[in-house]
Amino acid sequence: MSTIPKKGINATTPLVPEPATVVAVIQETPAIRTYRLVFDDPALMAAFMFAPGQIGLISIFGAGESTFAISSPPSQKDYIQFSVMRTGAVTSAIHELAEGDRVALRAPLGCAFPVDSWKEKDVIIAGGGIGMAPLRSLLMHLLDNRGDFGRIQAFYGARTPADLCYAEDRAAWEARADVDFIAAIDAAHPDWSGRVGLLPGVLEEEQPPAAGAVAVICGPPVMIKFTLQSLERLGFGDQQIFTTLERRMKCGIGLCGRCNVGPKYVCTDGPVFTLDELRRLPAEL
Amino acid sequence: MRFIASDGLPRLLERLREDGAEVWAPRVVRDTLNTVLFSPWSEGDEIETGAYSTLSAKQLVLPATERLFAYRYRLTAEGEKIEIEAAGPGMHAGETVVFGARACDAKALGVLDALFLSTPGQSYNDPHYRTRRAGLTVITLACTTCDSACFCSSFGAGPAETAGSDLILYPVGGGYLAEGFSDRGRELAALDIFEDSSQEKPALAETAVLELAGLEQKLLDIFDDLDFWRGATEQCLSCGYCTYACPTCHCFNIFDEMQGDRDGERCRSWDACMFYTYTLETSGHNPRPEIAHRYRNRMGHKFSYYPANQGEILCTGCGRCIRGCPAGVDIREVLKAAAARPATPGGALQQETES
Amino acid sequence: MDDLIATIKQVLAETDMVLGWTRSAAAGVAVPARFHTPREAEAAVFDSTCVHNLAVHLPRLKDRRVGIVAKGCDVKSIVQLIAEREIERDRVRVIGVRCPGMVDVKKAWRCFGFGKKVEDAGGQVAMEGKTVAREEILLAKCRGCRDAVPVIRDAAVGGVQGQSVAAAGELAGIRKRFASMSVDERRRFWRDQFSRCIRCYACREACPLCFCRDVCAMQTREPHWTGGGVDARQSEMAQLIRISHMAGRCTGCEECERACPVGIPLMLLLEEQNALIEELFGYRAGTDPEATPPLLTFDAGKDAGGGGL
Repeated sequence: MSTIPKKGINATTPLVPEPATVVAVIQETPAIRTYRLVFDDPALMAAFMFAPGQIGLISIFGAGESTFAISSPPSQKDYIQFSVMRTGAVTSAIHELAEGDRVALRAPLGCAFPVDSWKEKDVIIAGGGIGMAPLRSLLMHLLDNRGDFGRIQAFYGARTPADLCYAEDRAAWEARADVDFIAAIDAAHPDWSGRVGLLPGVLEEEQPPAAGAVAVICGPPVMIKFTLQSLERLGFGDQQIFTTLERRMKCGIGLCGRCNVGPKYVCTDGPVFTLDELRRLPAEL
Repeated sequence: MRFIASDGLPRLLERLREDGAEVWAPRVVRDTLNTVLFSPWSEGDEIETGAYSTLSAKQLVLPATERLFAYRYRLTAEGEKIEIEAAGPGMHAGETVVFGARACDAKALGVLDALFLSTPGQSYNDPHYRTRRAGLTVITLACTTCDSACFCSSFGAGPAETAGSDLILYPVGGGYLAEGFSDRGRELAALDIFEDSSQEKPALAETAVLELAGLEQKLLDIFDDLDFWRGATEQCLSCGYCTYACPTCHCFNIFDEMQGDRDGERCRSWDACMFYTYTLETSGHNPRPEIAHRYRNRMGHKFSYYPANQGEILCTGCGRCIRGCPAGVDIREVLKAAAARPATPGGALQQETES
Repeated sequence: MDDLIATIKQVLAETDMVLGWTRSAAAGVAVPARFHTPREAEAAVFDSTCVHNLAVHLPRLKDRRVGIVAKGCDVKSIVQLIAEREIERDRVRVIGVRCPGMVDVKKAWRCFGFGKKVEDAGGQVAMEGKTVAREEILLAKCRGCRDAVPVIRDAAVGGVQGQSVAAAGELAGIRKRFASMSVDERRRFWRDQFSRCIRCYACREACPLCFCRDVCAMQTREPHWTGGGVDARQSEMAQLIRISHMAGRCTGCEECERACPVGIPLMLLLEEQNALIEELFGYRAGTDPEATPPLLTFDAGKDAGGGGL
């Protein structure tokens, strides 16, 4: 995967985060909140560069440090955005944060989606639940550079209407003619007039052509499993399919030895992998 | 060849201490049920030159626990801010001399260098490690005898390995022949505590040889053979001894220690891939829930993944994991059985498809 | 050894496996082994280097029917596990063995070198011309052992009944010195000892009664009772948490001390506590599968609400 300069990481002390401030908190769903962070050092913020797919580690001192995908696009220079689902000690501590609170951040880390190699291609994006976070960054980046790509189809699935994040963004994407955006929920619901059905089924109904296309999927394991089967039936090859892996991380820089899947480190070799790469890794997910 | 008499050794070490170095040597520790450990040495302390140290000398470059930075909340004109103060290498940051390392211990430092001093840009190297490593002088004691846990001959030159050593001392009648293998080592051998000698180097120990050819691929080929891994690890108790005693195991944990209500320090400490909590995720999911999964990863890391990524085997045959395992697990038996095991098909997605 | 092998084969007929020992060529002593078939059982041995307490595996094999070769002291762990309802009596077949007292293998390796074959005959432990008197090289727990006869057994090997063969002996070495220390000296002694602890948790993993394992309070961050670092104060605290959790549960098998790679004499603390429990409650862990351990008698209705914790 493509590696780009890691401007937020201090090369001489890579395990030391930079102080940052929460500038906005958005309650997305009952369990997910979005946080917009700004490095306290204006020079660092101005120099910050990353590419979609890359990750950051947010520190809540006392609770620890946890890894999240960056969900804002590279063109967003005012803040760096993360969407956080409450699952454990660190994410619970993050959910206590309010605007103005101080945290610390190490970002960007990991490898990005190789969008430079997707020029002229159709791009199919399929996100489930919190898995939409890195795909939001990707989709907005593709739209920022709309002329470089062919048809863009984006699918976003969640269990119920209340479990869908990014309401404002969804409205914007639905309104655009140059992206086919479909949000779907698993089962019919009184508050929902949109598409109903599991994401893999919705994807198959839309029948995106595999020729000259790439597909990017991100979501819970069960969604990934069935979406892969759908893509396979649609004729997508293993090298056309991209996904991101999650693993417990500590150092984020390939030293602490924790996030490996066989010989590959999710923190430095990933989190973005092609299905082809995944198939050649040992079965330890 | 240079020579140092046995009674010259304390004088050599004392001189290094006077020059400002901290000196570490294997010593029997008082009140410890006969435990030998690399320990700080000062004049008058007896050095154990016969027995192997239970723990390796890696703590001199990777301390068991160290501070990464301190964090403090401060009230400023712009409201409350966090101050982060990066910690220096602290322990063993200056000149450090380790006396009585063995060829396997010295070689292990080079194996760690391949990761921790790797080229910036390829990956991050480690500033604390780099500082300590630069200040470390390794005086190695060549092995003329060995025990049945030793299997260094499976790796490189075995007992004759010179990688990682600044100065090697070869036991001969009345003292040691000395040969420098770095500028620092040659500088030491030139000191007047040493004299010229025409004695021959002694014959070195012959340690066991374990066939490692093909293991890098074989460990991937039998990855999915859980029957094998469960059988191979049925005695393992999943403690962290083997990883902590190992001169090449380097995995670490990062955590915060509070000092008072909000301020504190972020630290890192040795961590063991044999612990259940090592890969336990906050969701409760654990990619390596069984001892078999964890031991399989440990073997994979040492004999397949690290060689593929860093070009070095993450083992030097020191035998510590064999001598000290409370359950009598012998890594060589596991590797021999792995080599003999037929390959099984597999891939990352197989597991998901099954579940 | 024929008697042992024949007994293991008999027990295998009604179990999934038998836990025992085999000889390791590399280590020159017995190492733990699992026998699943009569053929595998041919490799079984029992001698004075069978130091390991194999009862440690029983809580990890709860869903299996397991036979276990056990010394008198190992059987105490089994009894305690049954008394605490951690394992079911019906699933375990105990093969009691006549214990001659166990050689302190670590000490033997220090005298003779790792991997040298230890020969134990005629009151002497010998290897390659060097000999040591037996009583000098036995494990501390074997001196004055009160429990050489297995409390429960389903089969017996070597005339187990009625004979205690452990060597008599006095407190030696560190134990003797420790006994004469003042409180301040003891405090310094422990700080010094725990300065070597590397938090490998071998003490816990080798302990048959430490079955909380992966959720142990020594290690957990929630509640944050001890720090995560390697530091004498934190390690001492972590160990004291473990040891207080062993009150009325420790059978004195010494596995924690044997497993400790840096030689911390943990049994000094446990022996003291065990003596106190015996004095206060008249209870010795592992001697009666029907007895209720004193710290398991807490009744939420009756005992709560007093001074509290």
